[in-house]
Amino acid sequence: MALPLIDVVANAVMMSALYALVAIGFTLIFGVGGVLNLAHGATVTIGAFSAYYASEVFGFSIWVGALAAILVPGLFSAALYKGMIQRVEDDPITVMILTLVTAIAVEEIIKQGFGTQPAVISSLLTGQVSIAGGIQANSLLVFALSWVIIGLLFFAINYTKTGKAILATSMSTKGASLVGIESDRMYLYTWVLAGAFAGLAGLFLGSIQTASWSMGRAPLVLSFSIVVLGGIGSIRGSVIGAYIIGFLETFTMSYVDSSLSGLASLVVLVLILLAKPEGLFGREFTE
Amino acid sequence: MSDTLTSKLNPLSLPLRQQLGLLALALLGLTPFWMELLYAGDQGLLHIRTITIAMFIGMFAMSWDSVSGYTGQISFGHALFFAIGGYGSALLNLGWGVPPVAAVALGTVLAAVAGLLIGVPALRLEGPYLSLVTLVAPLILLQVFIWRSDVFGGELGVSNPDPLVATSGFAQETYVYFYVGFALFVLILAVLLAVTRSDAGSILTAIREDEDAVAASGLNPAKFKTFAFVLSASVGGLAGAVFVHTPMASPTPSQLLAQTVSIEVIIASVLGGMGTIVGAALGGMFLSVFRSQLSNVNATVPGLGVSVGDLDLVIFAVVTLFILFALPGGVLRWGIVTGRSLIGADGAAADGGRTPVEQTLERFREFFRGGRDD
Repeated sequence: MALPLIDVVANAVMMSALYALVAIGFTLIFGVGGVLNLAHGATVTIGAFSAYYASEVFGFSIWVGALAAILVPGLFSAALYKGMIQRVEDDPITVMILTLVTAIAVEEIIKQGFGTQPAVISSLLTGQVSIAGGIQANSLLVFALSWVIIGLLFFAINYTKTGKAILATSMSTKGASLVGIESDRMYLYTWVLAGAFAGLAGLFLGSIQTASWSMGRAPLVLSFSIVVLGGIGSIRGSVIGAYIIGFLETFTMSYVDSSLSGLASLVVLVLILLAKPEGLFGREFTE
Repeated sequence: MSDTLTSKLNPLSLPLRQQLGLLALALLGLTPFWMELLYAGDQGLLHIRTITIAMFIGMFAMSWDSVSGYTGQISFGHALFFAIGGYGSALLNLGWGVPPVAAVALGTVLAAVAGLLIGVPALRLEGPYLSLVTLVAPLILLQVFIWRSDVFGGELGVSNPDPLVATSGFAQETYVYFYVGFALFVLILAVLLAVTRSDAGSILTAIREDEDAVAASGLNPAKFKTFAFVLSASVGGLAGAVFVHTPMASPTPSQLLAQTVSIEVIIASVLGGMGTIVGAALGGMFLSVFRSQLSNVNATVPGLGVSVGDLDLVIFAVVTLFILFALPGGVLRWGIVTGRSLIGADGAAADGGRTPVEQTLERFREFFRGGRDD
């Protein structure tokens, strides 16, 4: 286990950036629509396999694959919302069962259609950048892109009309509709955004590790931990939570035992739920 | 007292629906006989085994229903209790040579302790947070099993422990374990019916309806919720422990711990009728038989090149969702209400006509919408 600290930190920073992408989508849907989307992990998988099919099977450039990894999950997410969730969004149990069943269906279809062996997706950038003894250019891109997206999202939410409308809907659906905001459209936007972010994360996960039918499970469970830690509905909390959980994960796997992946963050999740359910930056749930 | 008890237990003085229930139970108990008549040779034996497995899934569903269906605290991870009972019993038997019956008893105790550990936090957590904790708890256990796969066998599970009863030959084994399963099924059904139809059961229903009102009337909802969790966990653990000691099952994550197991029991209970115990048992058995029949279908889905059998869970889920939309009270309630209106004995519903699903949804809705809309 004599991994150089700098490599582990670099890896942790990059993985945290990826987790942040997944968790932001998850928290957007929960915060704005009040829906726990358990199919979010499956969206990650769809992103990875869209990129795989576009670039490796149909032979397009990986940049076309990246586009597919954004568009297909975005569309899937929109279809999921429009087709099923919109009709039952007031029934949280039905939503949970429905999204979980969707996740199982997506996984099963990929497992049956593609098989269980891992798929390799090529990197967007190759080579190394000579920072701190050499870091993969691909990892650096992941990190940079993640922050660009987070920055854009913050800007959009706080300074554009649509962004403000989404924020208003998350605070009070009724109040938002009183001033003429169509909440259904805002919900749809959050689903599309969340799908696109998750798909992009899937592409990167697939190019850093590999893509497989069950690859979405770990990010989904990590998103629970991140979102609950950061506070449900808080984007800032999700970003900070993603880094805490990302570092915790990477350090546990590198220095304690690699088969412990996922365990530390789950324990953190349970502890947070028991001690401070509203998380670090969450709104207090009022009666 | 004894007077009312005998009249309560006399089949002739029972309401029609309960007489029908007893008849169905008797028919279930006679499965080996009519299976023999319907199918020749091993085919019949295989069907008896399918029914045996189905009874265990029915028991799992009943255990979920006794806590989630009654108190409205939705558990997304009941597989945790089945796995602790099953793995606990198997490991005690394999590792320390504890005889199967004692191992089953100890496995049940372990599951009860797990129920206490989940039930106590349940006092503090509300709605979706409890669901999240229960969703995550089996995942943690699975991670532990993978981490220490030298002990727990990881994804593959542990080898089969000693059988509960010594048998010789396939036919004898099939019959003996059918009746082991049937006896346990009747026992669990009787216990859970007795508890949920008692005063304690009424309090559990009241918690689902309005927890604050229960607290206001001087009762401690926390105590009853913990009780429901421990009862449910022990029943689930007992079923899991006996299950692994039958030749039809082994202690593996896919049979006892996988997320799909937790979801299956929820689908089964909601389908059969949440908050009825009998409905959960029916739903669980139906689901199990339906899936095993579906996995025998060899046809291929056109366009996908995937066999129908491989998509059994997906197909079942879709069917369930349609039923969920059409009959939110579950099949059992629908049957009773339809039956009553057919024989012209329609009475007013004592609970104001709201189904447990509706009441629970109401609670969750309040939580999700809390402080936002008003």
